[in-house]
Amino acid sequence: MSQIARPPNRIALSHAIQVPWLGNGNEAVAKAIIDIGYDAEGYYPITPSSDVGEVVSKAVADGETDLAFIIGTSELAALSICAGVAVAGGRAVDVTSANGLMLKAEQMPAIAGLGLPMVLNLSTRDVSAPLNIKNGHSDLYAALGWGWIILLAPTVQAAYDMNIIAIKVSEAVNLPAIVAYDGFYTSHANRRIQVFRDQNDVRTFVGPPPFRKTLEAESGRFNLLDVNHPRTFGPYMNDDLINCKVQMDLKFEQAKELLPRIFKEFALLSGRHYDFVHQYGDRDAERCLVVLNTAGEAAKDAVDELKEKGESVNLVVPIVLRPWPEDEIVAAIGGAKRIVVAERASQYGASNYLANEIGAALQRRGNDARIIQRTYGVGGLNFTGKDALAMYDLAARWPKLEDKDEARTKWYYGAWAGDENYHPLPTLKPLTAAECSCNAGKDGKVNLRDLSSMPTRFDKHTACPGCGIFTTLNLFLRGIDGHVVFLFNTGCGMVVTTGYPLTSFKVPYFHNLFHNGSSTATGVVEMIKRYKARGEIPEDITAIVVTGDGGDDIGMDQVIGAALRNDPFILLEYDNKGYMNTGSQLCYTGFKGQRNSNAHLGAAQKGKLTHHKDIIEILRGTFAPYLATAAELHAVDMIRKARKAQATVRAGGFAFVKALSVCPLNWGMDEHVGPSAVEAMVNACMHPLVEIEHGITRVTIDPEKSGKKVPVSDAFRKMGGAYRHLLTPDYAPLLQEVQDEVDRRWMRLKAMSENALL
Amino acid sequence: MSANELPFQDKLGFCNVLISALGGDGANMAAKLLFKVGCDQLGFDGGYDAKYGSEKKGTPTDVSVRFCKPGTPIRQVGPTATPHILAVFHADMMGPLELNRGLQPGATCIVNSSQSPEWVHTTLRMHSGRVICVDASRIAAEIGSRLNMPMLALLAHELGFDALIKEYVAKQWPRVAKQNIVAFEKALHSGQSSRFEPGLFPLAEEGISRGRIGWKNMLNGGTVDALTHNTGGRDNRLAGRGKIPEFHPESCTSCGICLTVCSDPGGLRWQGGKMAGIDEAFCKGCMRCVEVCPENKKGKALTFTDAGLGD
Repeated sequence: MSQIARPPNRIALSHAIQVPWLGNGNEAVAKAIIDIGYDAEGYYPITPSSDVGEVVSKAVADGETDLAFIIGTSELAALSICAGVAVAGGRAVDVTSANGLMLKAEQMPAIAGLGLPMVLNLSTRDVSAPLNIKNGHSDLYAALGWGWIILLAPTVQAAYDMNIIAIKVSEAVNLPAIVAYDGFYTSHANRRIQVFRDQNDVRTFVGPPPFRKTLEAESGRFNLLDVNHPRTFGPYMNDDLINCKVQMDLKFEQAKELLPRIFKEFALLSGRHYDFVHQYGDRDAERCLVVLNTAGEAAKDAVDELKEKGESVNLVVPIVLRPWPEDEIVAAIGGAKRIVVAERASQYGASNYLANEIGAALQRRGNDARIIQRTYGVGGLNFTGKDALAMYDLAARWPKLEDKDEARTKWYYGAWAGDENYHPLPTLKPLTAAECSCNAGKDGKVNLRDLSSMPTRFDKHTACPGCGIFTTLNLFLRGIDGHVVFLFNTGCGMVVTTGYPLTSFKVPYFHNLFHNGSSTATGVVEMIKRYKARGEIPEDITAIVVTGDGGDDIGMDQVIGAALRNDPFILLEYDNKGYMNTGSQLCYTGFKGQRNSNAHLGAAQKGKLTHHKDIIEILRGTFAPYLATAAELHAVDMIRKARKAQATVRAGGFAFVKALSVCPLNWGMDEHVGPSAVEAMVNACMHPLVEIEHGITRVTIDPEKSGKKVPVSDAFRKMGGAYRHLLTPDYAPLLQEVQDEVDRRWMRLKAMSENALL
Repeated sequence: MSANELPFQDKLGFCNVLISALGGDGANMAAKLLFKVGCDQLGFDGGYDAKYGSEKKGTPTDVSVRFCKPGTPIRQVGPTATPHILAVFHADMMGPLELNRGLQPGATCIVNSSQSPEWVHTTLRMHSGRVICVDASRIAAEIGSRLNMPMLALLAHELGFDALIKEYVAKQWPRVAKQNIVAFEKALHSGQSSRFEPGLFPLAEEGISRGRIGWKNMLNGGTVDALTHNTGGRDNRLAGRGKIPEFHPESCTSCGICLTVCSDPGGLRWQGGKMAGIDEAFCKGCMRCVEVCPENKKGKALTFTDAGLGD
């Protein structure tokens, strides 16, 4: 694999033919990804960026691109897949938001340090607890020091354009690049934009795929797979590391020099001009507002409005954050004396990110303009022209402000103090252990009528009608006595129960993000143990982790850890065969051939590519004391399993229960059909009901024995639109494949059930 | 195609349309269609934005479409806060959601309701403009179409491109084209319209609703006190749309199977080990319990209601 020389340094095609195109920011990014022609996209769903992958995967299924769309077990996995593609000489792209970026954090500086070019699209979203899925730039700011080029895209058009610019500069200097566009405000905003009619124009502009020589004449990018010239990538390094850091900084200097040329070439190609900074209004004005992305666009209307009134103001919207275009920013700020730097994030206990960098830049030039810092627009608060007017008004009144909070140099715009006289009376009595004890002493006997006396531990959620999650959870809880503490992983189950300021839970509850429930529970049960030893908790408390099947993909390692440590809590998985909270992306639990929003049916792909994950068999190797599967409509079976799980925990051991849970919305079934669909799936042995106690397997419901066994097609027929195609002649071989796999697994289980040694 | 005239225009050159609906109503689809036809066929430009989040089926959602003439800078994002045309899919949401906020003087309100325009004017506390009432739910149910079709028809009519939208609807969903077209036309011919002059209600300023908890009294880390801030008082009727199963106590043996499949079982009123009925403030009408309720000599204890059958 020899290196391909970079084409001569020529000016790109001028004025490629473009066509109008309607779509949202995410779709525009997907379009750019397809137009550029990547080798692979590493994927993991996260709101509000998930649908980029959905659109790309549709093109893959339709055979419109030969890109490899690879779904990881987590955000970290998705980016590591990209790292593998890049080190082996491929072009890789990834897309993420907020917590997704946080989870990628370990790979981010590594990819930059190793000099692997790639593009990461960041549909910005606040990183927070309590969890929020809306906009904020705290994810973007976290990436400032990770060694990635950072380009901002304030509009849907820019989201498309910047992707094309990003890969070019990234490959030219061997640094990875982020393209950041505002979550929801751009990602979900539908606009009419211009796109290139011919993909080849984009590909010619970007240049041939690696490997060509880059601007780094002496230490260009190499290919791991060059067996004729073996090289070691990612060695262990001691004192020499500082030289790596120098190299990275020099690359940023190169990027800084190169970007104007790429912007110019792109302008020739498209007619659209980008620069390090976008300046609008009067450069000599006394008042200046600095904001990023969509807020910058919105503020332009305010600048125009003030101009009409005869007021002159300046607006500065940085477009490139790394390399930091200090000279260009200072020049754009011009003669301003009072600068409001408004940011969609806060650096708590310190001045904000951009405010610091701009302040330092001005100081270095002896400019003593005053910087007023405001945090705005996080967590769903929009920023409109009106809000920009308020910022200019603030600058006009500065520093003579009566309100002492408003007079702070650093403060929050749009926050409210609340009503200190608000002291609502309790409307709920805490549940007692005594009233929640319906199962004591009834080991084998289950009477559903008696169980009606068990108080509900949650009420009035906002789940879709017919949702299986709370059916399962409620039924299971009728088998659990005494005090309960819940630990929920992120998913529909938490979103629909705890919308601030109200909670549906009558018992203690903690949500600690998507994949941490089992480790968090380990900490909680340790404290239960300690309080008990000290006699501070008189009554027993059972910790129950509730997770979707997605939480057990991304959090599989933590589940295995808890099982191996044999920590005394129950982990209840509701398995609805997908990432339903983020929009029905596939989870490994899904059946082969099922349709998901990122596993489409098309000429080149028939839905999900692999067979369903069997988490019970994965956990079997931990030899945890109690593993079981359960399903609604087999209520007696589920109650018995809940009791056994609680008995296991009370005896000091780990219990795992996986329950089938329908999703009428994303399976495409009528709301009332859930119970019948579950029954059909159990009878088809697609969700065999078993329990494994200390390695000994027992089938608890045997549809074969009771003469109820049905083919998988019977179940798919009831399961709705995401499965119905499996019943058509085109899918007959695939259907048979699923049937064979389900039967094989069922026969293995039966054999194990009949032989205690297996 | 040259740009048509828009029925309204603000100082920035936009005609703002806001749709208030519930997740699952198809409001997004309707807005997307309006936007596409407006841009592709009529030469308008603009934006289609929605208030996305973790909203589930049955929870309120805002969708907006803004149209302008080509060349107008399109800079604002998010749903419009100052609608000229407001489409309300569920009339009972006008009050709780304060849909009059930001509504422009002389606006047009298209409301799915069997009530009169006068009732809408008062309930909405609308400043001035025109109210068009259409019983879209009934039209959709009778014809076997969806709620978004009659609403889309009137929206498109107000914007002056109902003929094009109708064509598009037929092409987009050929399988249900007939029902959709019938629903579309029926809506156009059955709307009741009245105009209201200013005077009765003041203009309601656009704004965000702020809760009584702020940074001074929020518990550490945003913790929620379950004893004082629980969902016990929530009324689920909005999400349930009044569509709950009918309970026939004479047929009930209190077998308890309904309890095992209900997804919000506090809504099944059990007293002393016996099933006593359904709490309509809880029930969202999924009818799972109807599906499993066993039939005995006296029939089923839980059955679909008439309203529930249409789905």
